[in-house]
Amino acid sequence: MFTNYFKTAFRSLWKNRLFSGINIIGLTIGISCCLLIGLYIKHELSYDDFQEKGSRTVRVIMEYSFGENVTKGNFTSTKVAPAFKKNFPEVESAIRLYDARNVVKYNDRLFNENGFVYADSNFFNMFTFPLLSGDPRTALQGPDKIVLTRSSAKKYFGDENPIGKTLAVGSNARPFVVTGITADCPSNSQIKYNMLASFSSLGPAQEETYWNANYTTYLLLKNEASIASLQSKIPAFMKKEMGETSKTYILFHLEPMKSIHLYSPYSGFEPNSSITYIWIIIAAALLMLAIACFTYINLGTASSMERAREVGIRKVLGAAKNQLFYQYIGESFLLCAISLVLSILVLLITLPYFNQLADKQLSIISLLEPVPLALTLFVLGSVSFLAGSYPALVLAGFNPVKVLKGSFKNTRSGLFTRKSLIVFQFVISVFLIVCTFVIQNQLHYIQHSKLGYNREHTLIVPMDQKILDNIDAIKTGFKTNPGVLNISRAMNPPTKIVGGYNMRNATMPEDVQINVKANPVDEEFIKTTGLQLIAGTDFSRQDILDLGKEVQEENIYHYVINETAARQLGLTPQQAVGQKMFLGNHRPGLIKGVVKDFNFESLHTPIGGLVLFPEPRGATMLIKLSGQNMQQTIASLENKWKELIPHRPFDYSFLDEVYNKMYSSEIRLGKVMSLFSGIAILLACMGLFGLSAYAAQQRVKEIGIRKVLGASVINIIATLSKEFVILSGIAALIAFPAGWWIMHKWLEDFSYRTTISAWTFILAGALAVIITIITVSLRAVKAALANPVKSLRTE
Amino acid sequence: MINITNLEKVYRTDEVETIALNKLSIEIKKGEFVAVMGPSGCGKSTLLNILGLLDDPDAGSFVFNGTEIAKYNERQRAELRKHNIGFVFQSFNLIDELTVFENVELPLIYTGVKASERKQKVDEVLEKVQIMHRRNHYPQQLSGGQQQRVAVARAVVNNPKLILADEPTGNLDSSNGNEVMELLTNLNEQGTTIIMVTHSEHDARYSHRIIRMLDGQTVTENILI
Repeated sequence: MFTNYFKTAFRSLWKNRLFSGINIIGLTIGISCCLLIGLYIKHELSYDDFQEKGSRTVRVIMEYSFGENVTKGNFTSTKVAPAFKKNFPEVESAIRLYDARNVVKYNDRLFNENGFVYADSNFFNMFTFPLLSGDPRTALQGPDKIVLTRSSAKKYFGDENPIGKTLAVGSNARPFVVTGITADCPSNSQIKYNMLASFSSLGPAQEETYWNANYTTYLLLKNEASIASLQSKIPAFMKKEMGETSKTYILFHLEPMKSIHLYSPYSGFEPNSSITYIWIIIAAALLMLAIACFTYINLGTASSMERAREVGIRKVLGAAKNQLFYQYIGESFLLCAISLVLSILVLLITLPYFNQLADKQLSIISLLEPVPLALTLFVLGSVSFLAGSYPALVLAGFNPVKVLKGSFKNTRSGLFTRKSLIVFQFVISVFLIVCTFVIQNQLHYIQHSKLGYNREHTLIVPMDQKILDNIDAIKTGFKTNPGVLNISRAMNPPTKIVGGYNMRNATMPEDVQINVKANPVDEEFIKTTGLQLIAGTDFSRQDILDLGKEVQEENIYHYVINETAARQLGLTPQQAVGQKMFLGNHRPGLIKGVVKDFNFESLHTPIGGLVLFPEPRGATMLIKLSGQNMQQTIASLENKWKELIPHRPFDYSFLDEVYNKMYSSEIRLGKVMSLFSGIAILLACMGLFGLSAYAAQQRVKEIGIRKVLGASVINIIATLSKEFVILSGIAALIAFPAGWWIMHKWLEDFSYRTTISAWTFILAGALAVIITIITVSLRAVKAALANPVKSLRTE
Repeated sequence: MINITNLEKVYRTDEVETIALNKLSIEIKKGEFVAVMGPSGCGKSTLLNILGLLDDPDAGSFVFNGTEIAKYNERQRAELRKHNIGFVFQSFNLIDELTVFENVELPLIYTGVKASERKQKVDEVLEKVQIMHRRNHYPQQLSGGQQQRVAVARAVVNNPKLILADEPTGNLDSSNGNEVMELLTNLNEQGTTIIMVTHSEHDARYSHRIIRMLDGQTVTENILI
């Protein structure tokens, strides 16, 4: 019996190649989306699973306040690890990590290394990063030792054995001996490093204080259940440690390591994901699959007329209703199985690109593990059943007498179901179109909005103390190039100023402070970035020289603040100039100028108070170019760099690129939404095509009569399209409010945003209607051109 | 074999009621070859559908092989049908996606005959209707007469006690038509009961008895033998 079913199924799929093809493409798209997203989710859920002691490991989160504002984050000071290990019996061991950047050199190979992580010597005891060579107990014991990942080792040493060799680290080329090699960090690890240096190499930074919180602390508990009891002891302990002083306090919170990636608001060594995001993409995958199923249902029932005679014959020959039902379910299973095989092929082709795009190491092999395999088969089974059962029921329910007599005409009752499915598909499509439009609008807004500074033709180069010590000579050197307009050194570039400070004016009491961001800059910063002074004057060379005194309090600072900071101090820009103010309690000074507000943080954040001050510190060099002969200018700058700063590579980026990178998640969302709406539209069109073909088939006699009575081709197409245009109109009306609401919520996350204009909806609706007309016309034209004599005779 | 008494069947649409069978009573004995004739709409096809257990009567009695089956549900009717009744249609009604062999094999599949036995039975019956050389062809590749021979083969492969033929020669030219009628006559001679609906006086003459119908009732019965 099954061979017969299979044969019929296969031959009928072949006979209806067009519909089968559409179905297979649709289901392949749906299943591919599901598999890809499934692999991705599996990867996200597996974060840190490979850590053998992961369930007993917790990360320490610091919370502190000097009064009003409470700050919380994934940073701790050096003292937490030793203090907790010493005072709490629950703690088996504790580790400190410091994620740094460093220039690293071996012979002529010089790179600026991200993921240069300082770690306590018990690193390999706590974490499951197996050493390929070297001794895990001693590899990080004592200063100036370094462990490399396999890729880093290859990068510097090629085929040489790196063990025992020396790398020169930092601007002063401090020698570090290579003591071990580990495999590269798995992509599902929230701890990521390229190089591990012994923590003791940090020297004075090891001074044990609760402040200077620049380190990440992990604790290994003896028992995973003791996390709550340990947590409850921390407040009293910290009170004792800090002494009973004023409003200042520090607290620590413990986070289970395995929950960090999806549940913590504080990122690890890479940005976190979130469980909400996981749910959203699960929903997206299911939606894609649902749309593909609906297409199948629509095409299946549409083509059921062609199968009706077969059903009649089988029934006459003794087939029971359930036998027929299972036969057609089997057919949909066959179709799904073919689509599954194709999906796996699609996955094999697309996975490398996806891995590159998402920076993951997803492998199709993991589909063969028990749970994913079971899930895949479950998806196959449920799609076969869900998509197949409605057409199968329709088919199995045919009355053989009517079917075989030819008096058979499918009732219009099932039409409502099919129309609802089409409307649903179009609701999703229009919804996604609206979302895509709004997201693209916002991205356009982000990329083209005036931020208050000029981000064009500006290079950002990271710098270190050695460069800083020599900055004047270096600047002079670079400025000999005619393509260079200005050079400034600053702590942060204007795209993202992160330094948190307090300020107060002279009349405010010392313990009342206003939180602001501040950035140490030089006298060319405002010129280089194109900030607009609205009161007072720019920094001068003298302002920097004024800060020469050893004791901070004896210096007189000059400040340039933004409008918001002036307002926070209770002053207009004009009033502010010449006023006394303090940055922290140790920097007395005068306000020299006020700049117009500019976005020095992401557009998600409203502009806050900002203070620029000319302290001779910095980590960033900004080079403003004229924009003429950029490539030539950059090449000659690189040569000059090699001459002046041989200890570092010329590692530059463009300010506008750095700015765009801040919105990479939005840009990615935009791409994903465009892709999803494209797929949704395609699948909806397939379903629509099926339904319109079905309708044309149903109305073939009516069309014949209309033609005999003188209807033109256009008239007929209009008659056939009208119904579907109305359906897509209904879909649009349902989708608009949903799209508006979701996008309104999404935009609320931006302090600076585009507005959702009526045009978005007009365009999305028009797009839906046009797509509908084109799709329906594909079949309507054929029906309209058919010879009416033929259609009337067959009836 | 078949005994129907006061059989009624009414078709209703929203406003119109059409009486297809009006207190019809007929008896058909085992081994008979009966032709049913009458103008379009007289109820012949309805009768054939009820006799073939494809449709149920609204009232009256239908005794098949001594069992009252007028009140059987669809499942029971299907069960009875597949073991006892074979059909031959005017438009052949072969499944396009299946070969000649597979089409004929179908009734055996639904009655659960084993594959090896199926092959033997199908080959036997294809031999009998002289279409063996076309066993791996598809219906569209055959002439009308050949298709109807396949349909007859399919109708008899299960050794049914009753064959219902609905205008079996309606789509055939006269020589092909005659071949099919010869085939049915042979089957009848081997003991199969045949009821045939036809418009053709010529074909009707192959039967033992002609039942003429009008407006859902029998008008006359001519016994030809």
